[in-house]
Order: sequence, then structure tokens, then C-alpha cells
Amino acid sequence: MKVLVTGATGFLGGPLVERLLAQGERDLRITVRPGSNRSRVAAAAARYPDARVDYVTANLTVPAEIARAVEGVGAVYHLAASLRGAAADMFLNTVVGSKHLLDAIGPRRTRTILISSFSVYGVAELGRGAPVDESTPLEPHPEKRDLYAHVKLREELLFRERAARDGLPLVILRPGVIYGPGGGAFSTRVGLNLFGLFLSLGGHNRLPLSYVDNCADAIALAGRTAPVSTEPAVYNLVDDDLPTCREYLAAYQAQVAPVRSLPVPYPVLSLGARLLERYNRWSRGQLPAIFTPYKVASTWGGNRFDNAKIKALGWRQPVPTEEGLRRAFSWLRDQAAASGAR
Amino acid sequence: MSLDFAANPSEEKGKRMPLKVALVGCGKIADGHVEEIQKLPDKAAVVAVCDRELLMAEQMAVRYGIPAFYDSYERMLEAVRPDVVHITTPPQSHLALTRTAVAAGCHVYVEKPLALNYADSQELVACVERAGKLLTIGYTYLFDPPALEMRRLIAEGALGDVVHVESYYGYSIDGQFGSAIRADPGHWVHALPGKLFQNNVDHVLNKLTEFLDDEEPRLEAHAWRRDRKAFGDERDRLQDELRLTIIGKRVSAYGTFSSHVKPSAHFVRVYGEKNILHADYVSRTVTLEPGATLPSAIGRLVPAFGQAAQFLRAGGRNARALARGEFQFFSGMNRLMAMFYDAIASGGPPPVPMRDILRIALWMDRIWAQIGSAR
Repeated sequence: MKVLVTGATGFLGGPLVERLLAQGERDLRITVRPGSNRSRVAAAAARYPDARVDYVTANLTVPAEIARAVEGVGAVYHLAASLRGAAADMFLNTVVGSKHLLDAIGPRRTRTILISSFSVYGVAELGRGAPVDESTPLEPHPEKRDLYAHVKLREELLFRERAARDGLPLVILRPGVIYGPGGGAFSTRVGLNLFGLFLSLGGHNRLPLSYVDNCADAIALAGRTAPVSTEPAVYNLVDDDLPTCREYLAAYQAQVAPVRSLPVPYPVLSLGARLLERYNRWSRGQLPAIFTPYKVASTWGGNRFDNAKIKALGWRQPVPTEEGLRRAFSWLRDQAAASGAR
Repeated sequence: MSLDFAANPSEEKGKRMPLKVALVGCGKIADGHVEEIQKLPDKAAVVAVCDRELLMAEQMAVRYGIPAFYDSYERMLEAVRPDVVHITTPPQSHLALTRTAVAAGCHVYVEKPLALNYADSQELVACVERAGKLLTIGYTYLFDPPALEMRRLIAEGALGDVVHVESYYGYSIDGQFGSAIRADPGHWVHALPGKLFQNNVDHVLNKLTEFLDDEEPRLEAHAWRRDRKAFGDERDRLQDELRLTIIGKRVSAYGTFSSHVKPSAHFVRVYGEKNILHADYVSRTVTLEPGATLPSAIGRLVPAFGQAAQFLRAGGRNARALARGEFQFFSGMNRLMAMFYDAIASGGPPPVPMRDILRIALWMDRIWAQIGSAR
């Protein structure tokens, strides 16, 4: 069976291609954009010389190109999404791109695996530290959240609409903070860099990390084996033995580089957000409301994310968190050294 | 789904009803339009948005609390009967969308560039005028605080007769707009006759028309591609540096569009018989060249302090505006919209003269004819 992977040249894509091949897939098709870096996918493919991996140039915003890409495939892993940029670009590249993919699949019952996000959960009104599992309701107020959360929610709803309408066999995977060599250093859940000062906002919240190889392993497993009925199969993807945000920052400081940081306790953050939101209204948006009480509760409310369901499917975390952090920090240290040397 | 304006209490107090605004084309610049219209609740309200792609219209409506969204322009006009349509689509569709809007009895605010070429621009203006409607174009910087301050000083006679004008517009090819163009050989900018320049050179030319009265001044254009990256497709034909020399009967001008000079500056310099003025749109400062009025070495020493004092005063004014909540990013767009809506209400002239809009369209055609595209 031919398997299509979109976004395979991204951070998560290389490891996913490797895990799909390791778990037995032998015929992959990878969508690429002109100029995308194929080296990680090529390196993964090189380890499985009996597998066929071909590339198709496709921009998800061009329906004809994505239609060509889905021709003859038996399963689709949809990773491609835009992580930042203007609102219109993010919606166009992620949500409209997904619509074109779904249109290209059409009434065919192609098994479809969507990489969603923890950010689709509506946690702001659940209270501090509320547990979150796959049955937690979706965000009711995407307009109050950051753009990424809004875009990922709309994308997931689009897939759900098609699954309900056309009987598309759908697996939805919601990873937490994906990290590892090649990734970023700080999720906003840990804090934000404000003009050179790192505001440490996560405090004693557990940081819902998912090491990139672990995440890819869980995606490949669920993508291949999750039982799908008329309802989509949904799984949280998060590792065990998680550090708190503060522990993560301390480990980063010890193993990578010192960071000028200011810890902001949750009540102070909440109060600051209320004042900023009021100022934003009074000044008619003169300065952006990067913090609002709703965003603060959504991102730094200290939710505990449950991974029992993916474990029940047989997933075991391949790389222990301690080892994942060691590898990630080692890579970040090398990056810092290289940029220092330049 | 449209708002109930009949029940608007402001009408009972004798104030005018807010205009019903509909917007077509939910791309990046549309956010700015909606945000600024929503800051003018007494003058206008966005009642519907439309995009060929319904999901794009939906996301705008959700983010800004707009009551209705459509993927059919005609259906939107029919259902919400707007007073004004803001056209924020790519320029290829401006003429057709304007025709439909004025036929439905709407005034139009069209994003720049007005149309694909001079002939289409003439037709667009004519069709609005035939319908007895008003038109404006997104020449927002003409209404930014530095432009207003510049006009005040010139009216006071600070410069004397204007001899020469220099208009500089720096563009960030890695910015939000530039990177979308660079990422996609199918981006609509690549299909414009003047490509990247056509989407930006309004901002160079529209600062000159208030000084040059000529219909067709002598114009010389030079353009080239400085970007070294080769993509092997349409993107390699994109030129990114443009220089203009324009000679009118009384006033001459230079125009610069640069994608590679950093920082991306944005200013106009006006050279008069009495003084030189520098209006900076990035730092929102307007300063006059001090010149040496004192003799010998003292004449070289004093001007720097004079300059410093001018910047301090300008910075202080900006800080006071910030404290009052009046230091808005899209200040010029907001003022342009307010003036346009006032003109609609009063039947007065629109804020940007039609003659200037058409002269700019004509000059653009002349530029494209001279520069071709990169090979």
C-alpha cells in the first residue's frame, strides 16, 4: 500500500518517515515544496533500501497539485501546517490546504491520519491543573486564543466534518510540545522572550513534552493500528516522567546556556493579563494583547495531559525523557557554539 | 444576518447612521481594514466579509465578530446591501469587483494598486463616476502623522517654493508580504505587469503628486534584480530594485524602491528654496535641515544641536500621543477611512483626488514599459 506523508520535510517528518519504514511500510510518497530540504527524509529512506520512497512536488494551496499527490494512495499522514505568520497565511496554508487535501481524497475511504495539537482543547474554563484526556471538550472560543490554536482547531473540525459526512476513516493525533534535535528551545508553555529578558511563566506546571522520535513512533503505531469506527480515533501524544517548566529551564541553563530570566508567578501573570487586556481595549489596540486572562488560563493553567489511551494501544515510550532532554540540549549546545563561532 | 441599524440609538440623537461596510478579499491587508473600521463605530460598521474561499471569509468573521460571511460576492451584496465595499483582493479583480459594487449602489475603497494598467484604471474611475459614487484608494501614508505635519509646515511657508522631492520606500523581502511572494511562483504578484514594483510603487509615487502638477513629466526608470537566489521558475524574473528620475515643469523628483537596503527606511525629503524637510514614516518624525546660519566653525557646531532638539520634540510628541492611546500603527489608514466616510455622508470630494490616482496609474505604465523584467 502506498502511503502519503505531507510535511515530511519538517521537524517531525523525518523521524516519522523513519518510524513508518521501521514499522513495515515499504511504499511512501512524500510531498515537497520547491527548495525544501529533503536530507532528513533521504537519510531515513537510505536505511531501508528495499523500500520505495518517491517525492511529489505539491503545494497544498494548489488543488491540482495535491490531487496528483493523493492518486493511488491507501493512507495519508497529514503533518503539513504553518507554525507562524500572518493570520491569512496561516489559515490559507493550514486550513485551506487541508480542505484541498480532503477534496482530493473525496469520497474514497482513504485512511487519514491528522496531526492535531493539545492546543485544540478548551481548557481555559476547566480550572487550574485540570486533567485533560481525549474526551475533554474542544475550544469553544478560538477567537480568544492564539492564532495557532485557532488554526489547528478549525483544521481538526474540518477533518471531523468530512469524516462524519463521507465516512472517512480518521485518526486524530494530538501531540504536546514536540522537542528534540532540530527543534526549538522553549515552548511558550515554559515562557516568552521579551526584549532579551526571558519571562519564565510555566512555573511548576508539568511541561507536556513529546520527544520527536517518540512522537513519530506513536503516530506510526496509531496510524497503522488504531481501530477506527464511525467516530474518529483520537489520541494524546505525550511522554512520561515529565519535568516541570522550571526544571526544564534550569536544565537548559545548566546544559546549554545561561538565560536572563524572570519567574512570573501565576497570580501575577493573571493580574498582568487583566491589566494588559484593559489597556488594549482602552488604547484601541495600540499595543497587542499578547496576554489576556483567557490565553493565560489556556497556556499556563497547568493542565495535566493523559496518555493512557495511546498506551492502551500498545505504545511504549522508546526514548526515556531524561535521554531525550540530553539529546535535545546537546544539539542546542552545539547550535549555540556554532552561532557563537560565526 | 445583517445588523439592525434602524434601531441604532445614535440616529435618534440626530447623529448620522454608521455606514454599512462589506469587504471582499480576506487576505493579510484585510485585517488592517477591519481593525481600523471597528475603531470608527460612529461612522461605519463591517457587516459582512467575502472571499472566494469560504474558510478564509469565515476565519475573518470569527476573529473580528463580523455577523456574516460569504463566498459569493453577488450574494453578499444582495443580502447585506452595503453602503461601502472595501476591495482587498489582488489587483487583477479590482475592476470587475468595482463594476459590480457600483451597480449595486455602493461606494468603493480599493486597495492599491488600483488596477492592472492605466486603461483599466481609467475605466474603473469612470464607472464609479458614472454611477455617482465615491472612490478612494489605500494611499494610507498620505494621511499618516508625518504627512500631516509636513503639509502644515509647507503651508506655513517653511520651505518656500519646492524645487525637488525625494521619495524612498524600503521593502523587506523577508517580511510577511515578501516571503509569501518568494515562497510561491504562482503568487499573483508574479503575474502583474510591474510584478513586485506594481504592488508597492504607489507608495513611492503618491508622495510626489502633491508637488508635481504635470500630467506626464519626463520619467526615467532603472530596475534590476539583486536577489542572488535562483529558483528556476517565474520567481527568477522578479526585479527587486527600482530607481526613478522624474522631471516636471517646476519640480523634479527621485523615487527609490529597495528590497535590500537595511533598515527598510521609508521617508520623503522635500527640497525648497528656503529649507529642506525630512518626513520619516518609520520613526514618525518631521525635521528641517538646520543649515549653517552662524559663521566659521561655530556654523558647523550648532546645527547638530538644532537637529537633536527637533528630534527630541518629535519624540516627545509621539510619546504624548502614545500616552493618549493615539499612536496607532495604521493611523493613516484610519484617517483616510474617516475622511472617506465623511465625504460619503456630506457629498464632499473624496480624500484622494481622482486626477492623482490616474496620473500614478499612467506613470506606472510608463515605468513598466522602460524596465521589462529580469532575465
